[in-house]
Amino acid sequence: MLFKRICRLLPYPSVSVSLALPRKQLFSSFRSSSRHALIRRSMASDPTATETTRFDFLVIGGGSGGLAGARRASELGASTAVIESHKLGGTCVNVGCVPKKVMWNAAVHAEYLHDHSDYGFDVENFRFSWETLKSKRDAYVSHLNRIYRNNLDKAKIQTIHGHARFTSDPEPTVEVNGRKYTAPHILIATGGQPSVLSESEVPGANLGITSDGFFELETLPKRSVIVGAGYIAVELAGILCTLGSKTSLIIRQSGVLRNFDSLISTNCTKELQNAGVDLWKNSQVRSVRKTDRGLEVTLATKDPEKKNEEDKIRTIEEVDCLLWAIGRHPNTSGLNIGEMGVDTDEKGHIIVDEFQNTSRPGIYAVGDVCGRALLTPVAIAAGRKLAHRLFEGKKDSKLDYSCIPTVVFSHPPIGTVGLTEEEAIKSRGKENVKIYRTSFTPMYHAITSRKSQCVMKLVCEGKEEKVVGLHMQGLGCDEMLQGFSVAIKMGATKADFDKTVAIHPTSSEEFVTMR
Amino acid sequence: MATLCRVRHRWKRIKCAHVLTRSLTGKFDYDLVVIGGGSGGLACSKEAAQFGQRVAVLDYVEPSAKGTKWGLGGTCVNVGCIPKKLMHQAALLGTAVKDAKKYGWQISGPVCHDWATMAEAVQNHVRSLNWGHRVQLQDKKVKYLNMKGSLVDEHTVKGLTKAGKETILTAKNIVIATGGRPKYPTNIPGAIEYGLTSDDIFWLKKSPGKTLVVGASYVALECAGFLTGIGLDTTVMIRSIALRGFDQQMAGLVTDYMEAYGTKFVRKCVPKRVEKLSSGALQVTWSDINTGSEHKDTFDSVLWAVGRAPETKALGLDKLGVKLNKETGKIVLGADESTSVPNIFAFGDIGEGRPELTPTAIKAGKLLAQRLAGHSTQLMNYDNVATTVFTPLEYGCVGLSEEEAERRHGKDGIEIYHAFYKPLEFTVPERDASQCYLKVVCERGGDQKILGLHFTGPNAGEVTQGFSLGFQCGATYSHLLQTVGIHPTCAEELTKVNITKRSGLDATVTGC
Repeated sequence: MLFKRICRLLPYPSVSVSLALPRKQLFSSFRSSSRHALIRRSMASDPTATETTRFDFLVIGGGSGGLAGARRASELGASTAVIESHKLGGTCVNVGCVPKKVMWNAAVHAEYLHDHSDYGFDVENFRFSWETLKSKRDAYVSHLNRIYRNNLDKAKIQTIHGHARFTSDPEPTVEVNGRKYTAPHILIATGGQPSVLSESEVPGANLGITSDGFFELETLPKRSVIVGAGYIAVELAGILCTLGSKTSLIIRQSGVLRNFDSLISTNCTKELQNAGVDLWKNSQVRSVRKTDRGLEVTLATKDPEKKNEEDKIRTIEEVDCLLWAIGRHPNTSGLNIGEMGVDTDEKGHIIVDEFQNTSRPGIYAVGDVCGRALLTPVAIAAGRKLAHRLFEGKKDSKLDYSCIPTVVFSHPPIGTVGLTEEEAIKSRGKENVKIYRTSFTPMYHAITSRKSQCVMKLVCEGKEEKVVGLHMQGLGCDEMLQGFSVAIKMGATKADFDKTVAIHPTSSEEFVTMR
Repeated sequence: MATLCRVRHRWKRIKCAHVLTRSLTGKFDYDLVVIGGGSGGLACSKEAAQFGQRVAVLDYVEPSAKGTKWGLGGTCVNVGCIPKKLMHQAALLGTAVKDAKKYGWQISGPVCHDWATMAEAVQNHVRSLNWGHRVQLQDKKVKYLNMKGSLVDEHTVKGLTKAGKETILTAKNIVIATGGRPKYPTNIPGAIEYGLTSDDIFWLKKSPGKTLVVGASYVALECAGFLTGIGLDTTVMIRSIALRGFDQQMAGLVTDYMEAYGTKFVRKCVPKRVEKLSSGALQVTWSDINTGSEHKDTFDSVLWAVGRAPETKALGLDKLGVKLNKETGKIVLGADESTSVPNIFAFGDIGEGRPELTPTAIKAGKLLAQRLAGHSTQLMNYDNVATTVFTPLEYGCVGLSEEEAERRHGKDGIEIYHAFYKPLEFTVPERDASQCYLKVVCERGGDQKILGLHFTGPNAGEVTQGFSLGFQCGATYSHLLQTVGIHPTCAEELTKVNITKRSGLDATVTGC
C-alpha cells in the first residue's frame, strides 16, 4: 500500500507548468494537442499546492525503463509513483519499437506480395492502404497504453500526470502541477527525443518531421526524403520505400550504419540501393523551401576525392515528407537537474556509474537519458536491477552492459552482438583476431525472382577463438540473434559453435557450420 | 540446404595427409567407398577426399511404388527437408496474404494457388541442387557412380547399373549411408496401389487435391500443414498420438494450431481399405478404434506417412554378418559408427538409435571421414541435437521433453518456466496466438541447468539454433535472464520467461 505523509506546508505559487516548458516536449517524445489541456484540467482540480507527498520510490518517466523499475520496486514492497507527462509506455510503445515494427511487418508483406507468384499464388493487383494500417496500429498502441495503465493500477503504483521539475528543497523533491513529491530514491527515466536542426543551421529545417512525426502521418508520402545514416534513418527509409514511397536517403558519408561492423555497413548500404532507395552519398541538406507542389530540398554533395572542387548543389522537388533522423538527445532540459548536482555530459546525458547512480546520492537514472545502449530491454533490465538493489538489499544488482544484442529492422533485417571486427582488432591486435564469414542466398529465395543475400560474420579472439562478435544481415536474422547472444554472453568459443548440430534447413545453421 | 546455393572453395587448406594415406592403402582401388549419396554419404566422401583419400560414392535411386525418381543428394534434397520447407514457405505465404489485407494491402479478387507453378519451381530448385552435388563431387575428386551398391566382403563392393552392368570396387573402408524410405502399411487393400508417400508428393505435376494424410509423425503433420496452407482440403488420420517422442504439450499446441488453421483431424482411427471409384476418386474406409464403427469418405489422394524403413535389404549385409536390430532392421553401431564387421561403417538414418536428421548425418559423416583418415579421434555427440518441425506453427526444441525430464529427474527435480506470448506480427491481423508458447525445462536445484527448451511460433527454426548453441555450452536459467532481450522479437520471450508451471500462475505475457 501507498503511504503518504504530509511533510510540510509551503505557500508555493501555482505556476502553470506549460509556461515553463520549452517549445518541444520534455519528458516524452511525442506531441499531442491534448497535453496542455490535460495539464490544465488536472491543475484546475488542484487549486493549491502545498503538501509534499512522500514515496519510497519516485520515478520520473513512464517509459520502458521507468515502468519496469517502478513495477519491480512495488513488487518488492516499495510505495511507488510514476510521473509521466504523456501516454504511458514511452518511446518504445508510442513512437518507437512497437509501431515501427508494425510498419516493418507491413513492408515485409509488400516484399512477400512480390514473391507470391513465384510460389504459385495468383496475387496480381494489390495496393496499399496506409489509412487501414495506421488505424490498426494506433488501436494496438492504445491497447498497450491501457495495459500499462492497468499494470500500474494493479501494482498500486500511483500515476502522476504532468511534467516533473526538481525544486530547490534541501531534500531532492520534484514538483508536478504545483504539487510536491519526494522519495529517498528518485529515478530519472525520461528518455530522449529526436534531434532536429535549427533554422540557422538549415533554413526551412522545421518544415521537416522526425520519427515522432512519422507515426502521425495520415497518408503514405509519395515522395520522401530521409536525412541520416543511423538505424532509424535506415529503418524508416526501408519501410517508406518498400511501402511504395519514392524515397531518397541523404547521408553525409559513403555508407550507412558506420559504427556497425564494416560488413554490415557495406551490405546494408548495398541492400538499401537494391530495394530502390535513392541514396545520396556525401551529401547534406542546405535548405528547405515550401512550394505549391510540396517541399523543395536543396542538397550539397561533395566528392571526398576531389577536395578542391566546389560542392555540387542539387534539389529534390515535390517532396511531401522530409524526415530528420540525425540522432536523438536526452530529455533533461526542464528537469532542473543542474541545480540538483546531477552531472551530465556535453550532450546532456545524465552521467551514471555502473549501478545507475548519478552524482547526487538518492537520484538515479536509467535508459536513453543516460545515452548508453538506447534500447528498451536495456532500460527495462537496468530499471529492474536498480529496484532489486534499492528495495531487496541486493548490493551487487546491476546490469552488465556487455554483449547486448541489437536488431535493426532494415530490409532484410540486421542482427549484431558484441564487438565489430574493427573494435576487436583495435583492442586485441590483428594477430589475435580471427574472422569467419559467409554469404549465401537464403533458401526462401531459391525459387523467387527477387533475391537478397544473407551475410554473416563471427569475430573470434585469441587461441581459444572466443566468439566476441556476431554480425549478420539477411532474412530471419531478427529472430536468429537472441539465442546466439545467450551463448556469446556465456563465453562460447568457435569450437562450441562447431560442436552444435545444425537445424536444417534454416539460415541460422550456417553459423554452426562455418569453416 | 543453404550451403548448396553457392559455390565455395574453402576446402583447399588441408592437403597434408595425402601422401601418407595413399601409400598405406595402395592395394585397394579406393581408400573409401561410400554407398549412398545422401546428405551423410556426400559429406563423408567429400571430407575424406579433402584429406587426400581416394573416394568413390555410389548412389542409386530405386523408384518409389508410384514410379517417382530423383537425382543425387538423398532424401533431404529430393524428397525431404528442401522441398518440404519450400512448400511450407508457400503455405506461409498463403497465410501472409490473409494477414496482408489486415496490414492495409488491398488485394483484388480471390487469391488462388497453382500447384504446378509451385511444384515446377521447387523441382527445378531440387534439380539445381542435384547438379550442384555432382559438381562438388567432381571438384573434390570424388568418383561418383550411379550404381546400386552391395557388399561382397569387408573390402569389396559390387556396383550394379540400371542396365545391369556390374562393377567391382575394393576399398580399405566401406561406409553405408543409404538412409531410409517411407513405409506403406501392410494389410490395407489398395494402400500401395492408390496411395502416395512423401517420396511422391513433392514430385507431383498436378495438385493432389483433397488429401487424406495417414500418420501423426512430423512428416505427416508437415505435409498436411503445407497442403492446408495452399488451400487444399486436408485431413490427418491419427491412430494414437501426434509427434511421438516429442514433448506432448507442444505436440498438442502444434495440432491445435493446425486444426484452427483448417486441417481436419480424424483421431483414434485406422484405415481399412482404399478403393478407386469410377469417378476416379479414392474411397477410404476407416474404423474407429474405440467404437469399432466404420466410416467412409472420398479423397483425391491418400498420403501414407506411417514411418520410414531403413534401406538395408539390397546391401547383402546378412552374408557378411553385419548385425542389425531385429525390430527396426537398422544397423547396430558403435559410438565410432562401426558395424559388427571390421572396416564397415554406417551412419545416418540407417543407424540404430540415430536421429533421422540431415545435420546429424552430415556431422557424423564428416567426423567419421576425419577419423578414418587419421586426422582426428573426435566422436559424434548425438546429445543436444536441436530440431524444428515445420508445421504451420513451427516448433523448435532442443534437449529433453517435459515427460522425459520428469522421468529422469522426478517431478520435484525439475522446474519449468513457461510463457504464452503474442507475436507482434499477430496483433494487427488479429490472429489467435493461443498456441504461441515456450517452455524451458530446468533442473530444480543448483544452477537450474536447462534440460530442455521448447518454442512454438513464427520462425521457430531460426530462433532455436542459437539457443541450442547456448544449450550445448551448458546454459542455465539465469544465463537466459542475464541476456538482454531483442525488442520486439519472438525470441526475446525466452530471455524474459519467469512464471513457473508449478506456481499455477497465468503465464500469458502482457506488455513489452
